[in-house]
Amino acid sequence: MARVNNWQIGRAMDYWYSDNRPTRQFGAVFDINKCIACQTCTLACKTTWTSGRGQEFMFWNNVETKPYGYYPLAWDVELLDALGPQTWDGTKYTGRTVFEAAPQGERVLGWTPQAIDYASPNIGEDEITGSVDQGLALGLPQQIWMFYLARICNHCTYPACLASCPRSSIYKRQEDGIVVLDQSRCRGYQECVRACPYKKVYFNPSTGTSEKCIACFPKIEEGIQPQCFVNCIGKIRLQGWVNPPERAREDNPIDYLVHVRKLALPLYPQFGLEPNVYYVPPVNVPDPFLVQTFGPGAPAAVKTYRNARNDKTLAGLFALFGSTERTIPFFRISGDEAIALDDDHREIMRVPIYEPVYIRPAEDPTRRIIRMNTT
Amino acid sequence: MTRVMRPFFTCAEHRDTEAPRPIWEDMPLCLGVSVVRGRARRATRRLCIASLAFAVVITGACRRGPAIDTIQIAAVAASGALPTDDPLSALWDRAPEHPAALLVQDIVEPKLLQPGVTRVDVRALHNGEWIAFRLGWADATRSMLAQSGVTSDSVAIQFPVQAGSQVPDPAMGEVGKAVHLLYWKALWQDDAERAVRGQDRVSALYPNAAIDHYPFLANPAAKEEMARRYAPADAAGNPITRRASTSPVQELVAEGYGTTTAAATQKALGRGVWRDGRWLVAIARPLEEGDGVARLTVGQRTFVAVAVWDGALRQAGARKMRSVWIPLVLHAAR
Repeated sequence: MARVNNWQIGRAMDYWYSDNRPTRQFGAVFDINKCIACQTCTLACKTTWTSGRGQEFMFWNNVETKPYGYYPLAWDVELLDALGPQTWDGTKYTGRTVFEAAPQGERVLGWTPQAIDYASPNIGEDEITGSVDQGLALGLPQQIWMFYLARICNHCTYPACLASCPRSSIYKRQEDGIVVLDQSRCRGYQECVRACPYKKVYFNPSTGTSEKCIACFPKIEEGIQPQCFVNCIGKIRLQGWVNPPERAREDNPIDYLVHVRKLALPLYPQFGLEPNVYYVPPVNVPDPFLVQTFGPGAPAAVKTYRNARNDKTLAGLFALFGSTERTIPFFRISGDEAIALDDDHREIMRVPIYEPVYIRPAEDPTRRIIRMNTT
Repeated sequence: MTRVMRPFFTCAEHRDTEAPRPIWEDMPLCLGVSVVRGRARRATRRLCIASLAFAVVITGACRRGPAIDTIQIAAVAASGALPTDDPLSALWDRAPEHPAALLVQDIVEPKLLQPGVTRVDVRALHNGEWIAFRLGWADATRSMLAQSGVTSDSVAIQFPVQAGSQVPDPAMGEVGKAVHLLYWKALWQDDAERAVRGQDRVSALYPNAAIDHYPFLANPAAKEEMARRYAPADAAGNPITRRASTSPVQELVAEGYGTTTAAATQKALGRGVWRDGRWLVAIARPLEEGDGVARLTVGQRTFVAVAVWDGALRQAGARKMRSVWIPLVLHAAR
């Protein structure tokens, strides 16, 4: 094992290979608060990549209801249980990562789902944390909560799938950090299925090989965001490039949300993979659950998000989500507009930070009627 | 030097020389039993019963007991076709059986730390052109289909590409010292048997599943091309999918862990039978196959190693039970 630096856990850690960050790293931000679990992302991916025989239960993108929804069944709680106490000292993780907790003879602490665990992709959908008793009124903080968690491969900086493959069939592309599984080399040992804590590598029983999300790299190479991003009707997703914190740039939208404002957080950073899909945490969820899921920065992120509308840069940046098919490497705010910029800082497009608001009185004096709100 | 050990109560010596002498010829006491009385008579009767039981045991052992060779695998010369697809053939009785002890693969991660199959019984025959092995081991479950969390039962025989003093590391060879493997997988054999019934792997796994839509079924003209597009390993030409293969045995070469690659020639044949909690698998290859793989000649002494994967225990790849090098000798025809 080599020692590598994982900024998400605030310390160095053990990893199977030495540090070798790509030239640039695929990164994304998902705003959980806007997700309605319509599964359009899931279908966009499914129809593009996994409609074949042997891929029936394969969802490179899925949306599950937390805390009781899983795909595959119990994917996170199985590992959380096996990993033992996950303690933080401020922003430094003092527990063990999946690499440090690897049992004797293993490269990674993992577990293999059985076929039945994939049999109910929407199990727990819309399930809330308690029953709605008679007389219960809505109040804050909410006594009963749930949220939707959209998930793709995190294209981790330290992928467990890559570390686990005894044939080196999985590699991380130097040009964009996308983690891909070489379909000509895989022999279907399922070590990656076992190792990936997010369970985003799937075994195809028809071909006898494992398959995973490829971040729609043919689109990325053309400067276009992946299918699950551009088809998101809630506009919750933004794809770009993420730098390590020491190279963070204020004009890079992903860096700005992740490093500058610390508003977007990794999923289960304590696993130690440095995942590169970042989540704006849900505002309606108790802090202990948020900290377990998104790390110690979650309560502060919720506070920042609650004020985002009044923050012109944040409001402008969120307005750029889902506004163009093009990847947005840079952005700037100009007046009341947010402008998406390409690699050469040329304008891709611009959007108003705030949509205009028209207020009409309830009574129509001309027709002498009361207007009805139909939306 | 070949040292052949006979298991107790076998009649291999008789088989080689003459038919065993009937046991009753050595039991005159039984014939005279009527003239003996009292306690002596009862004692004699007990002796007779014990002798008969002994005879039954011996006779049974005479019929079934194989010659055991614990030192090496001796490939016995046979004439005519070898039982390459029949692990139950009586021809195998002509070859001595080598009980190969298996060890856990505990050299590289991921290691196998819980032992699986600990012994494989190996026999070998050759006819001057082909060599055939029969491998038998105990396996309570017959694992054919692979899916998440389940792998297929498999067995492999490994040869050094260069024999003699250049023999490579038995653990998958080493750089510059390749090994040649014959790898049988229950799944691949099942594929061929299912194909006759028109059943693919998915419909075998989920016989009652209803599929809404496969995009390639909507376009009969481009069906095959589209099906390939949605099967990335097929589209990438990965030989592991075995689409174009009819043999359940794949030939591989390797120069160390993680380097296994399909061999240039694929001539190996084989067939396995699972019965009463035991696999018997025949695997055969030509003695001469071309460059890059092990070349075998009659009279030669070389080595083989074997490995077994138990699908029910999710063994695959490096998680396997494997042997050290075992001497292999190809006997010349008598």
